[in-house]
Amino acid sequence: MKRQLPLIIVIGLGFLFVIHVFVPHPISQDFFDWFQKWIKVISPFALSLGIMSLTTVHYHKIKKKAPNWPYSYVTLIGLYVTALTGFIWGIEEGTPFMWIFRNLNVPMGATMFSLLAFYIASAAYKAFRARNLEATVLLIAAVIVMLGRVSIGNAISHWIPDATIWLLNVPNLAAQRGIGLGVGLGMVATSLKIILGIERSYLGGGD
Amino acid sequence: METFGVWIAAILTLFIFSFLYKENPFYRFAEHLLVGVSAGYIIPYTYYNVFVPYAWNPIINKHEYILILPAIIGVFYIFRFSRKLSWLSRYPIAFSMGIVGMYVPLTMQANVLVQMRSAMLPLTNINTILIFIGTVSILLYFFFSKAHKGLYGKFTSIGIWFMMIGFGSAFGYTVMARISLLIGRIQFLLKDWLHLMK
Amino acid sequence: MNFFERMQNLDRRYIFILVAVAVILPLIFPLGLPTYPTPPVESMFQHIDAASNRKDKAILMSIAHDPSTMPELYPMEISMLRHCFERNIKVFLIGFFPQAAAIAEMALKEVLEDYPDKSAGVDYCNFGFKPSAIMIPIILGMGDDISKAIETDAQGNKLENLPIMQNIKNYDNIQMVVEFSGGSFGGVWITYARAKFGVDVGCGITAVIAAQTYPYLQTGQLKGSLGGLKGAAEYEKLVDIFAKPQKTFSRKKLTDKQYLKQFPLSKTTYKYKKARIGMDAQAVVHIMIIVFIILGNIGYFVMKGQKK
Repeated sequence: MKRQLPLIIVIGLGFLFVIHVFVPHPISQDFFDWFQKWIKVISPFALSLGIMSLTTVHYHKIKKKAPNWPYSYVTLIGLYVTALTGFIWGIEEGTPFMWIFRNLNVPMGATMFSLLAFYIASAAYKAFRARNLEATVLLIAAVIVMLGRVSIGNAISHWIPDATIWLLNVPNLAAQRGIGLGVGLGMVATSLKIILGIERSYLGGGD
Repeated sequence: METFGVWIAAILTLFIFSFLYKENPFYRFAEHLLVGVSAGYIIPYTYYNVFVPYAWNPIINKHEYILILPAIIGVFYIFRFSRKLSWLSRYPIAFSMGIVGMYVPLTMQANVLVQMRSAMLPLTNINTILIFIGTVSILLYFFFSKAHKGLYGKFTSIGIWFMMIGFGSAFGYTVMARISLLIGRIQFLLKDWLHLMK
Repeated sequence: MNFFERMQNLDRRYIFILVAVAVILPLIFPLGLPTYPTPPVESMFQHIDAASNRKDKAILMSIAHDPSTMPELYPMEISMLRHCFERNIKVFLIGFFPQAAAIAEMALKEVLEDYPDKSAGVDYCNFGFKPSAIMIPIILGMGDDISKAIETDAQGNKLENLPIMQNIKNYDNIQMVVEFSGGSFGGVWITYARAKFGVDVGCGITAVIAAQTYPYLQTGQLKGSLGGLKGAAEYEKLVDIFAKPQKTFSRKKLTDKQYLKQFPLSKTTYKYKKARIGMDAQAVVHIMIIVFIILGNIGYFVMKGQKK
């Protein structure tokens, strides 16, 4: 009941979905329609997990006065004030909810990732070394792509963008395909393990 | 209100950039605020765009009472945090995992078979030959059931060279991506905030 | 400590300052470097353009990213919406993250300022936020019936009652699905929508994953791809020189200097040339990083030689 029944649901649904791909029978279609309706009702509750988790973590940080605990108030206030504005004024363009998105979320989210530009430049100077032949090939390919993707490359010589296109379309394509085939087969194998009940870690620990 | 918003956005942008000098309370404030605000979007969006049309309206307005069952299963998610009842959360997870069955044939088709078919094009020019050799040598490189020795080992080492070019290209593109993100933020500061750009 | 050792141990904050200067200067004093469209972008443009003035075809823009990747992806979304509105192409938007839905709202608002005659439910429709947990059921469900799978738009209107849905039933009426993402190049759409229903897929992606798209472009599983800020800049240009003057794509015109002269960058509104302006700074920083790599390696080899 605690572990076996959910496992039976996964295995049963898994095989029904394999059949659904190959059998366009009305019964198969009805099964899919039923599933679609049910999963849509189940899905909103999944999102509550994230909110509960975030709230609990920061609540405990404040309670235990963990390092940097006052900032947990900032997170919690940010979380619930944003949500509240959505409920009071709606979520369409022109509402305070969208104002917060435009002026708080967008600048902070984008800036956080833009910091990486500085670190990658610093790494280019301090860490990207042609230590051996393989690393040299990697660096040369990177430099060609960097030059060929901006118009200065074209201004130096039309060979640079041409070489970039060839590099991406031939050796890079082969490399990505080789790796991609491995990943694809790995995904199929993992999916098979799940629907055969071999892989069960998603059910969590306990009984 | 718009100008005020731009100022707030600019100040928060600078708070985060201040991390480049060293970690400081301004950065920490912005970091924590970002986490909170980002998560804050989930609640109203889920309520208005998912819960109301898919659960509330069918059950309350259309009287499709059978949907109370999946709603109860959905509520079981919450028990994930309960020590005694966490097993109940396995039911909604099981429903979500069931669709994995489709992965098997469709991933096989999209990511393996179609790709393999294109790797086996007629070897009519140097590029198709190179793509073929590169793909096969990489696949063999990741085949660990046979020792990479002798002729076989030499062939698999060709795969390394192809991968180095692939990683190099990806690296070149990664540099490009990171710089683009910075450009976007500087454009905001210079154009929208300081009006220094035409 | 000799010169090379000092250079190797240079405080990284000096490098940060150089990076900032290399970005700021070309933005204030533009270099006006040209943009050269590449085949994956041209292919995407042509494929979308083929739906112009068609009542039975629409473009589906799947927004699957948060603000962190907006500097690269947002100019693409803006340009594509502009393309669709200019060429009278029906367009749908869907967001699989809450913030993605907000980005869709923002992009629509920004472009609609220039197209006041376009109305929701008639020329475009924002499906709103749908959680990623039901992404696959929705993608598969749309293969049978879009209205049934999506049910309501962002404002809660029943999709089946909207005028835009006339002549639009399923993927047969979707000219192209374009996924905008920072981590996937339309993989879910390729695996489910294309493999099962044969819909054409394209992607607008961050440059980080651009190298991974090439095998899929070769097989035709991807009909087009916009990679990073450069992809956005190329698409901006194509919209400017073909869609805006109501012309169909022509490679001949693309290299015709006389033709291109009619569309100077100065005539374009800032929001529709943001990526092209950014590419000036991109070029300068690329050169600077290449110089960094060379200098770093010179220092490395000199020191290695000294140690020997």
